Amino acid sequence: MSDQDRWLLPEGIEEILPDEARRLEQLRRRLLDQFDVWGYELVMPPLIEYLEALLTGTGRDLDLQTFKLTDQLTGRLMGVRADMTPQAARIDAHYLKREAPVRLCYVGSVLRTRPDVFAGSRELLQIGAELFGHPGPESDVEIAALMLATLEAAGLPELHVDLGHVGVFRGLATAAMLPESLEGELFDALQRKARARVESLFNAATIKPPIRNMLLALLDLNGGRDTLARARTLLKEAPRTVHEALDNLDSVANAIERTGRPVYFDLAELRGYRYYTGVVFSVLAPGQGQAVARGGRYDGIGQAFGRARAATGFSADLRRLLRLTAGNAGMAAAIVAPGDNDPELDQVIAHLRAQGERVIRRLPGSPVSVKTLGGDRELIRQNGQWTVKPV
Amino acid sequence: MQFGAADLGIAGLDVLMEYEDNDLYQLLDLGIARCRLMVAEPVGLAAKDDPKSWTRVRVATKYVNLTRRHFAAKGIQTDIIKLYGSMELAPLVGLSDRIVDLVETGNTLKANGLAEVEHIADISAWLVANQASMKMKHAGLKPLIERLRQAVAG
Repeated sequence: MSDQDRWLLPEGIEEILPDEARRLEQLRRRLLDQFDVWGYELVMPPLIEYLEALLTGTGRDLDLQTFKLTDQLTGRLMGVRADMTPQAARIDAHYLKREAPVRLCYVGSVLRTRPDVFAGSRELLQIGAELFGHPGPESDVEIAALMLATLEAAGLPELHVDLGHVGVFRGLATAAMLPESLEGELFDALQRKARARVESLFNAATIKPPIRNMLLALLDLNGGRDTLARARTLLKEAPRTVHEALDNLDSVANAIERTGRPVYFDLAELRGYRYYTGVVFSVLAPGQGQAVARGGRYDGIGQAFGRARAATGFSADLRRLLRLTAGNAGMAAAIVAPGDNDPELDQVIAHLRAQGERVIRRLPGSPVSVKTLGGDRELIRQNGQWTVKPV
Repeated sequence: MQFGAADLGIAGLDVLMEYEDNDLYQLLDLGIARCRLMVAEPVGLAAKDDPKSWTRVRVATKYVNLTRRHFAAKGIQTDIIKLYGSMELAPLVGLSDRIVDLVETGNTLKANGLAEVEHIADISAWLVANQASMKMKHAGLKPLIERLRQAVAG
């Protein structure tokens, strides 16, 4: 690296400069305040910890996404968190040990070895909320409602909700007794909605017609409100767990529709399949090729920390939310004060600052304009009194 | 497409396979622009070569990921030379013995003294969709997709 490019940052890593940082911090406070009034307690998990703890219950997906290094004290492998959800689950299962439902929220940087989207960022400011200890649809409804309220508070007006339930595919796959290798390939083909591929996979395997037709039907079970009704008919002979999944989906959908948001159903939406156990939801915004927030139910993650707990939650990238809400905070209003050595002036400045005014004191040296210093008013001495004057 | 710059698109299966993590719905094989993705090598080499005996090969291709995956699945190490066109010249100038490329008629290969030794995949053009678009604009997209499906089937 030559002297000229020492300022270069690694790919997908960026600095946040004053104007954006200010707006980001305002947004962060606003959202945390909202979590607070919903009864969610803030936790601050560590940036780095032992790898086994970070990768619990998340499968290989998160492993490849995690930056790793060796702990010089113990020789064990540590990872920089790629997702804060497992950390919140550990706090609930291992430290809090409460029987009652626990509501936690968090905000912090997470690192990813590869960006989620082409040319995306590798450092996200993850913000999220998790509800532990309640298995029913009511907690999914609460999390979905909080997610929408969060995005609304962030200033995203037009939101679409995408709903799915991993229990549908899981129930059918179990009933079909698919060999493991085939389940993986079928999973991939379903996720891509590649019908021809799904059909050719079925031709290569022997699966009983009713289950086979139901798995094929998943390809078409997406769309508006009628999707659930169609699912009830097409998946009539499915195992009981599939019907429970549909009931669950129904109650969550009803609650979201009451907020007036368009809901889209996709019963073959299998993102995070190895991790989620129930309803999954993501929020889409017009013009965005990727979801702006995601969440769902992931019961059982606490098991690895000694206590299985029902869990549901959501998270989003705060930086991305900020960028979706156009607008420029502009320079903050400020009063420029002289650098005079005058106790009376010191008092006036302290008073103004206590009122929440931003006061910038001139430093000795080259005289610069109030505007250059970022001010819109000036503190000057008039008739022996320090007065604030607009410029 | 991934960014949502377009809702629907048409893409070759070769590109979709090369960028596997593309997050697109692969809705429909349009059955057009058919060709084959092949491993080829000079005729003279092909006459005495046995692909089963390969352990490490040097390959010129523009499909870096897909070539590596194809050979890795057979337990073969690869040294890949990324080229942006005229793959068939690589063996002629001694860059690599083998190439991975799309073959339609096979005439270009023949003209350059190359022979097909391994078939990787049949390629055609696919209808693809951005996931978010499908979810937000399904009412408009679904009828269009259905008509294309019927046209392809019919």
